[in-house]
Amino acid sequence: MSMVTVTVGLIFLVLCPVLFMVQMSLRTGLEAFRMPPTFPFTPTLQNYSALLEDKFVRSLVNSVVTSTSTTALALLLGVPAAYAFSRGRVRATGLLSLWTLATRMAPPIAFGIPFFLLYKDLGLIDTRLGLVVIYLTFNLSLVIWMMRAFFDGVPRSLEEAAYIDGAGVTRAFLSIALPLSAPGLATTAIFTFLLSWNDFFYSLLLTRSAAVTAPVAIVNFMNYESWEWGKVASAATVIMLPVVALSIVVRKYLVRGLTAGAVRG
Amino acid sequence: MRSISRRHFLRSTALTTGLVAAGLRATPARGQAGKPYAGARIKMSQVTHAYGDGLVARLPEFEQQTGIKVEIDQMSFPVLNQREDLELASGSGAYDVMQMIFIRSGRWIGAGWAEPLNPFIDNPQLTDKATLDVADFVPGAMAPFRRGETIYALPWLSDSTVVGYRTDLFEKAGYAKFPETFEALEEAAKKIQTPQTAGFVTQDNLHWIFPNWLLSYGGSFFANPPGDLTPTFDTPEALKAAELFTTMLAKYSPPGGIKLDTSVAQAIMQQGKAACYLDGMGNTQHIIDTSKTTLADRVAFTQTPRGPKGHFPQLAVHGYFINKASKNKNAAWEFIKWAVSKDVMLWSALNKGHLACTRASVLGNPEVRHKFTWRGSDLASLHLAVMKRAGEGYMAYRTVPQFPPVGDRVIIAMTAIASGQTSAAAGMKALQKDAEAILEKAGVKINRRS
Repeated sequence: MSMVTVTVGLIFLVLCPVLFMVQMSLRTGLEAFRMPPTFPFTPTLQNYSALLEDKFVRSLVNSVVTSTSTTALALLLGVPAAYAFSRGRVRATGLLSLWTLATRMAPPIAFGIPFFLLYKDLGLIDTRLGLVVIYLTFNLSLVIWMMRAFFDGVPRSLEEAAYIDGAGVTRAFLSIALPLSAPGLATTAIFTFLLSWNDFFYSLLLTRSAAVTAPVAIVNFMNYESWEWGKVASAATVIMLPVVALSIVVRKYLVRGLTAGAVRG
Repeated sequence: MRSISRRHFLRSTALTTGLVAAGLRATPARGQAGKPYAGARIKMSQVTHAYGDGLVARLPEFEQQTGIKVEIDQMSFPVLNQREDLELASGSGAYDVMQMIFIRSGRWIGAGWAEPLNPFIDNPQLTDKATLDVADFVPGAMAPFRRGETIYALPWLSDSTVVGYRTDLFEKAGYAKFPETFEALEEAAKKIQTPQTAGFVTQDNLHWIFPNWLLSYGGSFFANPPGDLTPTFDTPEALKAAELFTTMLAKYSPPGGIKLDTSVAQAIMQQGKAACYLDGMGNTQHIIDTSKTTLADRVAFTQTPRGPKGHFPQLAVHGYFINKASKNKNAAWEFIKWAVSKDVMLWSALNKGHLACTRASVLGNPEVRHKFTWRGSDLASLHLAVMKRAGEGYMAYRTVPQFPPVGDRVIIAMTAIASGQTSAAAGMKALQKDAEAILEKAGVKINRRS
């Protein structure tokens, strides 16, 4: 068996669930569960047009707003913090960076009820702001720890040369360390976006109707009497699209970011 | 540009905050002539359901009549379970009207989270008793929400277990009518079973399906609910029921038959891959949905089989109640009265296919009877008969506060036995032991048997 056949086979295997979902989204209710599935079939967009008439669109907007805001804020706050942890010569650096992981030291369910009660008193339940804040709590640690590793990989000597030329810390950070860590920044941004985009637990817990995000909205297609599989499949396809598009756009950086530091010498 | 002083900034901020707060707190003028709650805003939670869609469709009419603004929040059943439990436990009051979930009613009513409805029903200024007609709700549907004379919720959905079956397949196997006992059903399934067609299919909420067998063979969940909650899964009757039930799942269900959600089980019937489907009426009626199947004209409906101890179809009821923490209780009551009124329920039955009704007048309505008669099966009468039967009290096990965790453990036991991970005897023994532990942990006094 040639390498190409094996590769194509593996790719097909990996993509099988996605392909199944996409083809199901293009079938009518009558065709959706036909076993064995009929090929070829006449595709229909009725499931997608049904989505447009549903509250799903609003939840999709909520997902876009919360995930984008979280990613932007997490990078804005986390990247400088990571740089400080990487370059700082403070004795408590290790301890401080460890404590940034506090919200990741237990499963989300452990923080769920305290967050709910706190949010209830603060009036943050069912708000996009509330979701952004909660996503920040666990994304910041990811940004800090990932970006710190990337900054550690940038030779200090480059910044020291800049200092000799009169640059300050901010200039050295913005003009030298950050551009050299661009692949890492892209990788971190994607992971941060994905974590917020795919979150189900906090959205389920901390929203009611106004701020519900797409992953929870999909579950609501499971009616009491029967599940709307066509809508589930089409909504899942729609949810997947931005992530796929984003990954394709930054794939060059993504590969470099994921392999950065793999070989040192 | 003129600089802003600290004092000026603080004063402006305080003033703005005060004005905003005052604006937020200001409520619209309440009470117009004939509309005492005009301006009130209420929020309601319920499962995504055709009945909820019907309420949404007719909401403008209610809002115009009363001046009350209603937001109906429909969600999937797993989400509803989690969200309502959390909202009630935290006393948030975010939802004024909520769905009383059958198996959680014991806990919620016991915890005092549901407002008693009698003061609203008995107040002539709030309720025209003749129009509401509480007696019109079938007693079996009202039973879970009554504690003595006190009513905590009014039912809108009652799901009764029935069987939808392929007449052609049963006739081919020599059965002119559907088998009347579970043992006869097993025999029929054995004859019908082929690699292409399973003899039987059901959904994966096994603590809802298994009791059809359990009670019919003389078994029970608890010794004498709600008084004595000692689990009784270790009896010979329970063991026999478990053996027969898990055999149906293991031998005569389609592949993966122990873990089929309702829509997949329905799809299997719609595609002709199974000969009969036992589930709640609301689910079962979908197997004749002509937009999803071409086999509807070969399907009929009948009551569930019986066992040596009789016929024990199951009944799940859901109602609407007023959240104790609601700040708009009178407006919430106005809405509940309308939502379960004869007019709305009849309209829902005729226009939204809501057969799982709770009012005798609706189920007895000639138009409804005609609409829901399929190939000689009078579904409305079938449903009404189950509700009357269930009203005799055998469903009490399902509304004890500790039922949900015990029910979940029953699902694990049935799955383990049907999948061959354990024998029926060992599985039921382990179930008994764990059920006792669950109840003891909850502080319930039981007579330990394991």
